Amino acid sequence: MTSTAPGTIDAVRDWIVGKHPERSPVDQHIDLIENRLIDSLSFVEFVFVIEKASGTSIDVDTVDIDDFRTLSAIEKAFFPA
Amino acid sequence: MVSDLIEANERFRGILDRLSTKSIEDYYNPYRVFEWPETLPENMWWMSPDLTSTHGSEVVRDLGEEQLHRLSKYESVNFYSLNVHGIRELLIEVTRRIHTTDFEAPSEFFHHFIGEENEHMWFFAEFCSRYGHKIYKQPRGGNASVPASEAESLLVFARILIFEELVDYYNAKMAQDTGLHDTIRQVNRIHHQDESRHIAFGRELVAILFDDFRVGASEEELRNVERYLKRYVSYSFESLFNPQVYRDAGIEDPLEFRSTLLNSPTRHEFEQRVFRKPLSYLVKTGIFRDKNLHVA
Repeated sequence: MTSTAPGTIDAVRDWIVGKHPERSPVDQHIDLIENRLIDSLSFVEFVFVIEKASGTSIDVDTVDIDDFRTLSAIEKAFFPA
Repeated sequence: MVSDLIEANERFRGILDRLSTKSIEDYYNPYRVFEWPETLPENMWWMSPDLTSTHGSEVVRDLGEEQLHRLSKYESVNFYSLNVHGIRELLIEVTRRIHTTDFEAPSEFFHHFIGEENEHMWFFAEFCSRYGHKIYKQPRGGNASVPASEAESLLVFARILIFEELVDYYNAKMAQDTGLHDTIRQVNRIHHQDESRHIAFGRELVAILFDDFRVGASEEELRNVERYLKRYVSYSFESLFNPQVYRDAGIEDPLEFRSTLLNSPTRHEFEQRVFRKPLSYLVKTGIFRDKNLHVA
């Protein structure tokens, strides 16, 4: 497990690895949903993890699922440089 | 074929007939039965204190009575919102199956089920809109709710049953709670009355679906069903801890607050208390090997 830097995508990556240690390391570009790293039962928690790590409030009414598909997309959408 | 399983099961056919008859005898017009006061008092418990997500936890010490009341208001609106969303999901699944060849036998009962659930969704939504001015949304995404497999109908109806049992635990307690406003007690009482039929049906159906599934299932497939449904139980429980509720109640860091509650030592006891009946049932039928929900 990598050490988590606060306010970075690492916290999200660590959460996924914590749920699926056998799938470590999680590539920045792997489709998390297609590869069942995130399913409908874990999606709610996943959104909260991203909100907490990024400090961004996510509007559930306007969620674009593509923003959640890869760590790269999540970083771009919710972790402004 | 599910219809064949039911047709061959005289006991289940008798139960279906009795439940359908009872639905007709107990029918009421939900659009007339409720008297909705213009407003409900803010300064009261909107939910039985021991059902609120903070009950028994250390964070309660930091909250005054007024904030606990406000929290109970938004938690109750969240609870009824979960009902609205849960009912929509189960209506989709039951409607997909009614009068298909596979589900011909329970279709007569499905008509009552769909009609009653539609009405429940209406009065829960009405409560949320009138007194909370909103229906809480939940983030939705990830792969299909129920993975496609030989166990699909089993998982669908087991999920419906778990959801109904969770809701019923709250309904039964709040219907009896004399500390709550009459309107709140009435909503819970009426739903509890109808749900007892739906739960009776669900328990019978899930048991025969599982008996049929396990005949041809490998040990790994059985464990997958158990793992998936245990995850669903925890997912359902955690949906009662909504950061948006904590935000509306004026909690400073809603995500941290939620995390503290879910990691609190009281969580396990609370979860086991809420799901005592369905967990006993799921173990008794052999779907679960034990009641431990948090397995690696």
